[in-house]
Amino acid sequence: MIVGEHKPIEEIIDLVKDFSNVLVVGCQTCVAVSLTGGDRAARSMTEALTHTFKEDKKLHLFENSMLERQCEKDWIKPFFELPEGVDAILSLACGAGVQTMSDIFKGIPVLPGLNTTFLGAQDQPGVFNEKCAGCGDCVLGLTGGVCPIARCAKKLFNGPCGGSTNGKCEISISMGHDVECAWYLIVERLTELDKLDNYEKISETRNWIPGGAGGPRKLIHKGETPF
Amino acid sequence: MSFFKVNENCNGCLACVQNCPASALNYFDQEKNRKIMHNMSLCARCGHCWRICPQDAIEFKVLLTGRFDLVKTLDLVHCKVCGEPIYTASLGETVSNEIHNSIEPLCPDHKGAEPVNVWKKLAAKRNVQ
Repeated sequence: MIVGEHKPIEEIIDLVKDFSNVLVVGCQTCVAVSLTGGDRAARSMTEALTHTFKEDKKLHLFENSMLERQCEKDWIKPFFELPEGVDAILSLACGAGVQTMSDIFKGIPVLPGLNTTFLGAQDQPGVFNEKCAGCGDCVLGLTGGVCPIARCAKKLFNGPCGGSTNGKCEISISMGHDVECAWYLIVERLTELDKLDNYEKISETRNWIPGGAGGPRKLIHKGETPF
Repeated sequence: MSFFKVNENCNGCLACVQNCPASALNYFDQEKNRKIMHNMSLCARCGHCWRICPQDAIEFKVLLTGRFDLVKTLDLVHCKVCGEPIYTASLGETVSNEIHNSIEPLCPDHKGAEPVNVWKKLAAKRNVQ
């Protein structure tokens, strides 16, 4: 899922301080699961901002609302009503949601309340780990289901490097927590699967165009079954 | 209650069934009827059915704005002083079993006043003696 985290409250205050009627809009899909952008998060953000601006000379009104998904353009108009008088929207969606809302509500600034952090998995309740870099050319079939792009600090295709110690990456020290060496995991997993031959295959220089190096990517589904 | 509502415009063309990416829609032709079924557990709430329906028959807003369903009814314990509901009888029993002690049904406001009541009881006992 797309994982997001709240922007620092000081940054949000700075973004909304010039507006008098701000609608905080939650997004009920990915970021709701990552506990930062759902209806509940929108309510608590509204309360926090109302409290912050309580003593301000200028009148600030904060309301909250939510959308099932802010990234689906054709949903927004029929299923979302913008209350009268709103002069800014604080979106608690990922970057895709914020931009879609901006496209719809052209006359109103749509401000981001979250930093979209990564595509990840919830490995323990409340603990999210980056697992996918959206590279557009998946190699998980060769690497035993462990991504060398998202999970290796150097994005090595022929690893590991010399910074791998006891299965941990050398960045663990600077990160302040254990970071598993992706290539250690790959070798471990390929051994389990009896596919260590894959490790012997040398990966050639990668074409990063499907990964976004060729510009913004677009996908059009047409005439396929079942879509 | 069903959160998936199809209005009278539906002509049974099955565009929704054929296009549902989560296989949450299905149909059965049974004797003289075509029955279209929806499975809320499988539904991804993606809206493809609503988009694709040539008849505008899917009332998707109903699914997005559905009400709460009653899932359980439990007995409540009330504060013995003010009568405010505080927790369920079942939760009280669980906690009592955990701490091997009975708990006084008091709300946070009256919990602080309890020592006074204890003192009053003790004083009353002493007066009796």
